[in-house]
Amino acid sequence: MVAEAVPRPAPRGWLVVLGQELRDLWLGGRALLLSFAFALLLSVIAYLVATNTDLNFLEQRESVNLVLQAAVAVGTLLTLLTAADAVSGERERGTLENVLLTPVSRVELGIGKLLASLSLWLAAFAITIPYVWILGRGVGVVGNAVLVGFVVGSLLAIFLASLGLVISLFSGSNRVSLSLGLFLLLALYAPTQLPAGARRGWAGDLLLRVNPLTAGEHYVGRILVDSHSWTKDISWLVSPVLAAVLFAGAAVFLSARFIRLPGGLER
Amino acid sequence: MTAVEARGIVKNYGSLVAVSDLTFSAEGGEILGVLGPNGAGKTTAIRVLTTILEPSAGTFSVAGVPHTKPTEIRRRIGVLPESAGYPERQTGHEFLRYHARLHGRSRSEARALADGLLAEVGLAERGGTLIKTYSRGMRQRLGIARALVNDPRVLFLDEPTLGLDPAGQRQILTTIRKVARERGSTVLLSTHLLGEVEELCSRVLILNGGRIAAQGTVAEIVRQAGAPRSARLRVASEDVERAIAALAPATAVERAEVANDQLGWLTVTLAQSNGRLSEDLMGEALRALLDAGVPLLSYELEGARLSDAFLAMTEPA
Repeated sequence: MVAEAVPRPAPRGWLVVLGQELRDLWLGGRALLLSFAFALLLSVIAYLVATNTDLNFLEQRESVNLVLQAAVAVGTLLTLLTAADAVSGERERGTLENVLLTPVSRVELGIGKLLASLSLWLAAFAITIPYVWILGRGVGVVGNAVLVGFVVGSLLAIFLASLGLVISLFSGSNRVSLSLGLFLLLALYAPTQLPAGARRGWAGDLLLRVNPLTAGEHYVGRILVDSHSWTKDISWLVSPVLAAVLFAGAAVFLSARFIRLPGGLER
Repeated sequence: MTAVEARGIVKNYGSLVAVSDLTFSAEGGEILGVLGPNGAGKTTAIRVLTTILEPSAGTFSVAGVPHTKPTEIRRRIGVLPESAGYPERQTGHEFLRYHARLHGRSRSEARALADGLLAEVGLAERGGTLIKTYSRGMRQRLGIARALVNDPRVLFLDEPTLGLDPAGQRQILTTIRKVARERGSTVLLSTHLLGEVEELCSRVLILNGGRIAAQGTVAEIVRQAGAPRSARLRVASEDVERAIAALAPATAVERAEVANDQLGWLTVTLAQSNGRLSEDLMGEALRALLDAGVPLLSYELEGARLSDAFLAMTEPA
């Protein structure tokens, strides 16, 4: 007979999951590749902003704003793509069942995966700092840009990573999950392409405010370009904060029920 | 002590009944073979018992823990799922360390455990290489090692030899036998290798169409199925026709015919036994031959096989 083993609890299972997810992402090379591509893109944008005769009419503050907006948009896109792969990818590769057979709860699995995907944003932000510093030297905007970029970018990264995880929970395949995530992101950014006229008036204002991405972008612009104080336009942060909190909550809540194998009600 | 007890488990996928009224038990330390044709419900049953799927009805307990406490069950079981995937970019050692950590082991414990398990399944030399370089047999052995990270009371192995060549199958079955003997865990083994089940398993559960078709020891199942038993007799080639004529009226004989491989050999199918030993039936057949004056050169009784019973119980009429 087997000796009566004392079953162990798995304290901080989410930390174990986070650690392994980070190793898989970074040592596996995927996150490094994405970060390298991000740095390359940012270099091109920064170079054009600084040297192109059509673009360098921008004031320094506007240049910093433009680069920061691009960094936030692409950096948060990386978190969305990573999170969208988190569960559907494991389902597709057949590796989910082994993890589900451990005593770690689904909620902890979800939290670990969510936090790991946010590491892409942190890396993207760290890459962005030197570009902001170079473009913003001498006009006293660097400190503000780094801080507001980090706050708004982090809120949007949490929102989009959570959205990606929710999509991944319900997707039968990785391709569907990634395509849907990308489509939703483009849809969220669509209002930024509206003509200036359509963005004026109460309807335009409302459209920009309820959309976390456009609201965040607007808030960053007001601080960096218009030199507003952090509190003057704070109402523009309402939707990014709400989106981050609600979607992160939803992702964790839904993980408990929907991190499962395809087919049937599972726990 | 009862290691697994299932009472009336039902699992439906919409209108499809995958498992119906599954009731059985497995005692501590025994190896229970779970057999059935494809689609019989073996994997679904194992997924229910390992808490991956919720049963639609019924109750069960594993290692004394009721099904209402799935996390506690998962702490006490080890599972090799059918066709499980493995993270290609991890090494075997890293994979085992991760799962040991998920089961609550400290870093140093997990490292030592991974070393020990890799040696136990014969992968010590390859523990540091990426899983993507492993053969299918090596992956299956790694999966068995993973199933052992929490020193489980009950081990569920779903088709551990699927897709392996005979040498690979032999290697896996040797590993299972060793694990069961040395650790004393209860093993539920789902497989298609009936010969190995006869050799390894103390009891057998046959599923068909989501229901239990039979359960018991191999001998009990063969008896339940009333699987035909046969013998091969050798007589002089000129006596073959006389021998068949003598055997035909014997009540112990269901059918006697010329064996198609060798001259002078007959294949005799013994009648349904109704509890009589095959040796008794054979004795009656031999007497019939002697009474007819047919000299018998040799004979061999072919034992009833699990495969006969399996086919009898699972093949459509």
